[in-house]
Amino acid sequence: MSDERWKEDEALLESLRKGAPGAVDELLRLYQGKIFNLAMSILKNESDAEEAAQDVFMTVIRKADTFQGNSAFYSWMYRICVNTCLMRLRGKRRNETVSIEEFMPVFTEEGMHASPMDDWSKEVERDALNEELGRMIRKYTEKLSEKYRVVFVLSDVEGLSNEETARILGLTVPAIKSRLHRARLYLREQLSRYLLEGKAG
Amino acid sequence: MLADYFDGSMDPRLREELDAHLAMCEPCLVFTRTYQAVSDKTRLLRRHIEYEIPPEVRKRLETFVHAAVLKYPEKMREYRDQVERDRREKVAGLVVAATAGKLSSATALLMESHCVACPECRGYFDALRKTGAPKAGDPPEDIRSHVIALMQTLPPGEEFFLA
Repeated sequence: MSDERWKEDEALLESLRKGAPGAVDELLRLYQGKIFNLAMSILKNESDAEEAAQDVFMTVIRKADTFQGNSAFYSWMYRICVNTCLMRLRGKRRNETVSIEEFMPVFTEEGMHASPMDDWSKEVERDALNEELGRMIRKYTEKLSEKYRVVFVLSDVEGLSNEETARILGLTVPAIKSRLHRARLYLREQLSRYLLEGKAG
Repeated sequence: MLADYFDGSMDPRLREELDAHLAMCEPCLVFTRTYQAVSDKTRLLRRHIEYEIPPEVRKRLETFVHAAVLKYPEKMREYRDQVERDRREKVAGLVVAATAGKLSSATALLMESHCVACPECRGYFDALRKTGAPKAGDPPEDIRSHVIALMQTLPPGEEFFLA
């Protein structure tokens, strides 16, 4: 997080507390996109995400007074967003998620990789593939259970540090690392299968 | 853990051992490369992975938050009108696409399964197919809410019509 952003957030928090006109507009301008995106990645449904976003902003505006400043403002907002969304999920019929175990690397008795290894790491550098690859990453991420998906989104998509992600989710850093690692293993496997299929097909 | 290797937090002796192994073992080397590529590409392709907030959602959110914060009844009414307007537009769009036979296969499938269980929608869309033109005016409220519910079960990013 840049210094500039810190200052912006500090100023925003102040004006929210004072109830200054334009504070709400500024809050929305800075965070609407981010909050909607985070809500979508958890809820996978626009209308749920929109409702969750409403709740998040109302909570943030209401509680701006009581925010202690123990964490960054955006970190606090994300935490409210994650909690709001996970609460919503609890009430709903669960969407299909895959078992992550199916995608973990398999080793032979000698400790070697059991599946064929195709090196696609260089190939995906071609710009032409980018949009498609991005869509595939999103698609596979959606199939992960929330436990791994949220960590992956915060860490690898949004680029938050392990410490930040841990704070937002109320987990330890080792727990974050472990879930992130498994999410990446899963995606590595899904992408490998997809890219291999593309070649064979 | 492999993640430690890449973020530099791996024990130095373990790291040395892993480096030595990778120098000799092609499959493992490829594995680490492709593992690393996942997070590298994700970071790079962030814009394609993130969900963009649609303009009408953005507007509605602004109206809602302002209304709720300021508690102006007029603003709340405006928000509700916006929701209703957007819903009707969406349904009208789908009806036109259905009439023209331009529903995406995912949507057509959802529609078919729904119509099996729902006589009102079945009647409405069958009549549509026969006449080849959408009836003037909105479909009845029941059908509208079924269509909206159906559209919400489409996976995000999936379009309901064929380009």
